[in-house]
Parts: sequence; structure tokens; C-alpha cells
Amino acid sequence: MKRLVYSATLCSLLLLAGCSTSREYYGISGDKGSMTVTSRNSTKPSSTTLDANTPVVMHDGDKTRAADINADQLRGKFTKALEAQPLPPKRFTLYFIEGSDTLTAGSKAAVTAIFEEIKQRPAPDLIVVGHTDRVGTVAANDQLAARRVNTMREQLIKLGVDPENIQASGRGERDPLVPTADEVEEPRNRRVEILVR
Amino acid sequence: MIRDTHAMKHLNCLLATLAVAALAIPSVPALADEPVFFQPWAAAIKVSKGGVQIVRGEKTYPGHLGAKLKVNDAVVTSADGSVGMVFLDNSVLTMGPDTEVVLKRYSFDPTTYMGGFDAHVKRGTVSLQAGNLADSGPDNVSVTTPQAELKGNAKQLLISVGETK
Repeated sequence: MKRLVYSATLCSLLLLAGCSTSREYYGISGDKGSMTVTSRNSTKPSSTTLDANTPVVMHDGDKTRAADINADQLRGKFTKALEAQPLPPKRFTLYFIEGSDTLTAGSKAAVTAIFEEIKQRPAPDLIVVGHTDRVGTVAANDQLAARRVNTMREQLIKLGVDPENIQASGRGERDPLVPTADEVEEPRNRRVEILVR
Repeated sequence: MIRDTHAMKHLNCLLATLAVAALAIPSVPALADEPVFFQPWAAAIKVSKGGVQIVRGEKTYPGHLGAKLKVNDAVVTSADGSVGMVFLDNSVLTMGPDTEVVLKRYSFDPTTYMGGFDAHVKRGTVSLQAGNLADSGPDNVSVTTPQAELKGNAKQLLISVGETK
């Protein structure tokens, strides 16, 4: 308890001296999107927007403001963090025969390529997403997408993928590869996308 | 026909899980407009170097390659540690040495791409590459630090906490 009081006192002394305040830096890269940085200090509200014009913002312990370092200097602090970047996911698209969960002949062969990719990765997991074309109702297409995904999921498990490492879902007709009007047949939209990560 | 029965079984199983999940959460207002569905984990560790730990409640687990993260987990790296993880929506978060991040909230509906991602960076260096969640709503992704809150739709974000001057 005594110790706590001491350190609290020390802390406030240092704060008064203005030398113990912890600095925070925030940066964005790319010219798309923005981020609002709002101070959590409720007695002294401040907010600064991170965007292409102001790619680095800081909190100096008092309020948010444009940073005293540039984007390259900020990046320099992140060498180790950025080295830990995982491999980007690899996407495979498998196509199905109309209204069914049967793969087209060409796509059956592609399953081998998926396994080659899985072998390349140190800790692989898979995202499996089923899609349909716009023939039929949204609800019926959700069911069809689910059937396609379940068929693929079962096949992947049979071939040795740990079920814990497969996340399966259906997007139905919401996310067509080729946009069409409703009730239009489009073989390229009858697909399952598999992301190997 | 056999396939259909199989698919039905899966669907029934899923519906049962959903029903159980719905019963288990009596009435949480924050979840009212978010769908409830079963996800065993939120993120997987894909790169792990040096000392990396996952703190879950009272327990600590090694943050090795392939380890899974759940909501409320904290990830901590030591002076020689760094880690990279991928979330269900393909968001990527990496951490440098002496860094601590708490995953406060994570939900992702893989059908609609709606949900939310709140992380708290306690200290250290963190990079966040936004995934599908950031595309489906500007308020879906939020990161807090001891001194600030960040919200928005930026594709790549860098956060450094705890430099004294």
C-alpha cells in the first residue's frame, strides 16, 4: 500500500515535470480510407483525422495532434511488427453444375492444386464460401450455397484437413462474380471460393 | 439424394447450435441487431517468433503457430517476440516486441459480412490490415489505446504506444 502511494506520488511529480507522459503514434498507409483519432482524456477533448494528407498523428499525453515525425520515421518503429506479416491468402474458385452440388469436370482437378497450396503453409486454415447464380429465390439459393459448401467441406475433411481449420459459410446470390439481372443463368456465379490462409 | 440428406443433417445441426446459442444468451441489447452464430475462434496465429503468449482468463497458453484466439484473449510478446495473426474476415494484425493487445470484441457474419472488431493496444507496436469488416461499415472497426480511440475505414493502420519523452 505504501509502495502504491509512493509510486502514485512519483508519477504525479513526473507528470508535473512533463517528462513521464507516454507518447502514442498512429499512422495509415495508402490513399484510401481515413481514421478518426479521439483522445480518451474526457476533461480535455481533442480529435485529429488520419488521412492521405495527415498520415501520422500523435497523442502527446495531453491531446491528439499532427505528429512530430513523418511516415517513414513511423514505419521505422515497426520493423519487427511488419516482419511478422503472414503470407497473403491464396484464392481458389471451384465451379458447379447448375442447381447441384456436383463440381464441373475442370474443377475436380483443381482440388489437387488446393492441397499443394495447403502443404506450402506452416499453419494452414481454410475459408470456404458458397455462391449461386440468381436463378431461384434468395432463400433457395442460400440452401443451394450451403449444400455446395457442405459438400466441399466434407471432401476436404475426408482428404485430411482438420475440421477446426475450416470455416464454411454461404453467401447465396449476394456476391456474384459476374453481376446479372435476377433469374439469369450464369455458370461463373455457381461457385465455391476457397481461401487457403 | 444421399447428399441432400447429409446436407439436411448439417443444416439441422447448425440450427440446433444456433438455437442453443440463442438460449444461452438471454437478452444482451448490444447483440440484438447482430446475428448469433457459432464460431469457435476469431483469429489464428500464422507467424510466431520468440516469446508469444495468449492470456485467457486466469490461464496462459503459448502463442505458437496455428494457435487460435477468442474474444477477451490478450496476446503478449516479450522483448524478443513478434506475432502475426489472421481473423475470420481476413483482417491481419501483427505485433512487434514488448507488445500487448486485448481482443475486446469480435463478431463476423460470414453471410452478410456485418459485425464488429474492437481491440485494445495496451503497449508496443501493432499493425492492422483491415479485412471484410472494414468494407461493410465505417464504424465496424475500432481500436483503443490508453490515450485514444481510433475508428474508421483505413486499410492499413500502425499504432505505437508507450514511448516516454
